[in-house]
Amino acid sequence: MEQSGTSTLLKGAVQDLAAGVASALRSGGHGPAGDLPSAAFAADGLAPAAVRVLGADYVLPHVLLGTRPDPAELALLRRAVETYPPRADAAPTVAWSHWAMTRALRRLAPGEAVPAPEPAADWLDTADWRTLTHQLAILAPLALPGEDSAVGRAARHRPVDVARGFVRAVRRRDWAQAAGAARWLTVLDGVPDTLGLDTGLDFVELMGGGDPLVDLQVRAARHLRVGALV
Amino acid sequence: MPSKETVMEEVARIQDIDVDAALDPAEAEGVYRDSRQCAALALAGGQGGVLLSPPTPRPKKG
Repeated sequence: MEQSGTSTLLKGAVQDLAAGVASALRSGGHGPAGDLPSAAFAADGLAPAAVRVLGADYVLPHVLLGTRPDPAELALLRRAVETYPPRADAAPTVAWSHWAMTRALRRLAPGEAVPAPEPAADWLDTADWRTLTHQLAILAPLALPGEDSAVGRAARHRPVDVARGFVRAVRRRDWAQAAGAARWLTVLDGVPDTLGLDTGLDFVELMGGGDPLVDLQVRAARHLRVGALV
Repeated sequence: MPSKETVMEEVARIQDIDVDAALDPAEAEGVYRDSRQCAALALAGGQGGVLLSPPTPRPKKG
């Protein structure tokens, strides 16, 4: 199916942004903002949408490396949060990604964001292991050690299911899902040693690392594998 | 290459873009890996454990 020009532009902007974040993680933390198309920046329209889609991972280098965000980065994150709130009938992943962004904003700029109650997470309690992994991979920005959420608690109760989902994603060559699941596995206890997560991460990077969104999750997983939050 | 006007029109439309579709994507269609990729996985470390396990045997006919 042919994509509309708008969605193609947005997809490209999100990938550029993800490449910038992955680069910051790789290099140890300069500003995460990627090179968004200059025309879009000039019109001041594309950047908030791209940040909203990338979610809380827009500021992941600051969270993981303990660096201070640039005021412009915080302003863009805040604008994305305010411009794209979840609708009342939004899918759970939409509501949770927005919640994760408000949490990131609160963490990096205390007092600048109103604490929001957690959305419901009961849809994960009844999800089979395939659906669980698919949904968790979309919500990979929530996979941070020491950061509690109902989604994180649901994942912590089912490490073997997430491991099964990771293997399935690798076998289906769904590198984005595999990378997101791998990131979750790095923060869960009870993951089977027989999984071979490190080798799996290498493989996902080898096969899917050309996609900046996959690369970002692989970088995040490696950071979480070797150290806790700064 | 799109003209500047075309790009700006696209950007204007993005103001009203519905990001929900990007935040709630359906699962990608699976494409199962081939033997060349299995070899790449073996070379990637050789301790793939479950990842390198053979596929479930297919039931025999008759």
